[in-house]
Amino acid sequence: MNTTIEEIDGKYVATLHGEMDTAAALEAEEVLKPLYTSNGKDVIIDCSDLEYIASSGLRILLNILKGAKASGSKVMMRGVNDDIKNVFKLTGLFSIFDFE
Amino acid sequence: MQRKESSIVDWWGWLIKHLKTHVGLTVIIVAAILLQGISSVQYYYTRSLLADELESRAESELSIKAVVVKNLLNMSENSLSGHIWDLKRNIIYPDSSYSVMEWVLRSHPDLTGCWVAYVPEHFPDKGRLFEPIAWWDHGEIRNAEIASEGRDYTQNRYYKTVMATNTSMWTDVYHEDLMDMDLVTYIIPIHDSQEDIVAMFGLDMSANLLSDTLDYRHIYPSSYILLLTEKGQLIVGPRHKKDNKREETQQIIRMINDSTVEKSLSKSGRSHVFSIRNADGDEGLVFYATFKGEPKWQIAVVCYDKEVYAKLINMRRTIGFLTVLALLVLGLVITRFAKNDRKLQKAKMEQERIGSELRIATHIQKEMLPKTFPPYPERDDIDVYGIQIPAREVGGDLFDFFLRNEKLFFCIGDVSGKGVPSAMVMAVIHSLFRMASAHENNPARIMQTINETSCEGNDSNIFVTFFIGVLDLPTGYLRYCDAGHEAPLVLFNGQYSEVNVNPHLPIGIFNDVKYGVEEIQLQPDSTIFLYTDGLTEAKRASKQMFGLERTKEVLDKCARQQLTPQQILETISDEVHQFIGDAEQSDDLTMLAIRYTPRQFESTLMETLTIENDVHEVPRFSQFMKSVTGKLGLEQSLARRLRLAVEEAVVNVINYAYPTDTKGDVTIKVMSDGHTLHFHIIDSGVAFDPTLQETADTTLSIEERQVGGLGILLVRELMDSVNYERMDGKNVLTLIKYIK
Repeated sequence: MNTTIEEIDGKYVATLHGEMDTAAALEAEEVLKPLYTSNGKDVIIDCSDLEYIASSGLRILLNILKGAKASGSKVMMRGVNDDIKNVFKLTGLFSIFDFE
Repeated sequence: MQRKESSIVDWWGWLIKHLKTHVGLTVIIVAAILLQGISSVQYYYTRSLLADELESRAESELSIKAVVVKNLLNMSENSLSGHIWDLKRNIIYPDSSYSVMEWVLRSHPDLTGCWVAYVPEHFPDKGRLFEPIAWWDHGEIRNAEIASEGRDYTQNRYYKTVMATNTSMWTDVYHEDLMDMDLVTYIIPIHDSQEDIVAMFGLDMSANLLSDTLDYRHIYPSSYILLLTEKGQLIVGPRHKKDNKREETQQIIRMINDSTVEKSLSKSGRSHVFSIRNADGDEGLVFYATFKGEPKWQIAVVCYDKEVYAKLINMRRTIGFLTVLALLVLGLVITRFAKNDRKLQKAKMEQERIGSELRIATHIQKEMLPKTFPPYPERDDIDVYGIQIPAREVGGDLFDFFLRNEKLFFCIGDVSGKGVPSAMVMAVIHSLFRMASAHENNPARIMQTINETSCEGNDSNIFVTFFIGVLDLPTGYLRYCDAGHEAPLVLFNGQYSEVNVNPHLPIGIFNDVKYGVEEIQLQPDSTIFLYTDGLTEAKRASKQMFGLERTKEVLDKCARQQLTPQQILETISDEVHQFIGDAEQSDDLTMLAIRYTPRQFESTLMETLTIENDVHEVPRFSQFMKSVTGKLGLEQSLARRLRLAVEEAVVNVINYAYPTDTKGDVTIKVMSDGHTLHFHIIDSGVAFDPTLQETADTTLSIEERQVGGLGILLVRELMDSVNYERMDGKNVLTLIKYIK
């Protein structure tokens, strides 16, 4: 699991790489925590290389979305594969997030 | 005019409407009209008969009385004419007249007097006038010569008439001062040898004599006879003392004499008749006829309607009274009938209404209980069949079952009593069972909840015997709780055995009963049989009961034949019906049979992983899952879904099974027969049923969304079956996925 954050054109771009199981989510959260308060900047979460996500990973994304909504910015999901989209659907999060 | 017509139409419509609704009134009115009609016809017919009879009686009275009078007159005439010869023979001796007169009187003591009035100067030595007279005076005959110039009989009009006509005659009635009485006199002229009239020979008859004759026996009590001269002068009439009667007599005489008064000839033609009305308002008829021959007197008889028709009037009054009485009785009877009829009609309608409501209730109750059999056609490990046959339209028995998390929840119960009250309680208990078991796997706790709730406000002291069972399908563990209900029987391997139960108090008696749970391990191919006492207490006409022994015999047979639940219940049903015969079903009969046939799991794969309760062990788990799915050759998407589901379940155990900072193991056991994949996640932490954990509400908005509850939601969504069991002090969570 490899997680990075960059700022491109005034937007945060978080890139999730590999498999985000419960253990990996603990590490990823340390990296992604700053995004819980996005200071009005939009967030792009790039899942192009994300193969797996457990519910702890979903919770991190949900917390980012809550923070963004509170400051009036947007969260955009990018490159989500069908299996992960399905997980979003099963948990009812699909309609809450914006997918590119 | 138009308005008046329409109001008449309204009135008529109103009357018809009322007559239609008041049958009694209609019958009474019709009966009254008919009776009145019949009575009127009878009255007029009888009256006409009585009128005919009156006429014939009156005419016979007239003729009888006429004959009597005529006889009297003839007798007088004959006695006088019989002595003419004696008088003539001695006509030259004036005093011989006395002896002749005496003879006449002696031959008829009824007569009043007798006299001879000689023509003037007949006896020169007797003066110009000579009139010897003899009369009865208190039984003796007295005589005298009464003529004088002051009493000149030649001036008497009868004397003159006889002189003129030279024929004998009867006078009208006149008052004789000498004797002070009313008389009628018969006068015969006496001739000498030259046929010249020499004297008048007269005989006096008292009007009282005629009156006495006529007064004898009248046809009606107040009828009376009038005797009139030809000219209509009253000779004798009734001896009335009252003035108004005298007036009435005068009125009748006037009417007879008055040719303008309308009179009709009687049917026989022998008399005339006319009607009168006296001062008292009494109406009557007067019949009168004229004597045949001389004198041409008239005789009349007066009859009053009130006497003629007295009996008829009486009869009419009696009949009228009886008619009214009969109508009243009829009215009473009909009213009573109509009332009863209305009551019956009302009761019938009520009964129909209740009947139709009961039919609906029966339907509702049937709908309430499981009705689709087999209930789980897609499953081969369980078969259930149940029947409820209420003794009445609705019953107080119930059974129910449903599947949740690979557990079969089932119950059977019997509400005390039967019929509608029991059915209402049954419906409540059924709902309580469903609610209490929605989030609870422990039958004792389900029982406790039902008992506590149903005890609230149960003043009618209705209680329920109840049995709740929870069969864990993967393991065959049967947990149950019995509240005073008949112990179920288990059929296994061609034999039956009774399930040991701790008989708690039935539901609805005390709210603080502590219900305990019991458990048995159900062998594959076992059948649980549950019933209510409607089976063992089914009575035949001789009051003999079906009984437990007979039930067991039948079950024994069923066990040996390896029958399906449906076949078992049908067999028992048939036996019971055969047993009770024509007897009425006395109690609700309910049975439930559950056949447990878990498929033998022939493992083609069995892998076990034990990790510590630490999330950092998750990568090991992930490797384990990849290895398993790889061995099974599952495609990546399914492999990821399985991994996700099991990971969520495992993480749930890691996070919650053991107290904080307590180390413990989590074992993941994977088994597969190539068709199904079983995951058992086992820990020895505190008893915790994740299937009862609240899942995240996916319908909420982002602001309302909680971050928890996603894991268990995913487990449910991704797996085909999730089942928790606490076995041997361990939490066993079984996840099943059908992979082919």
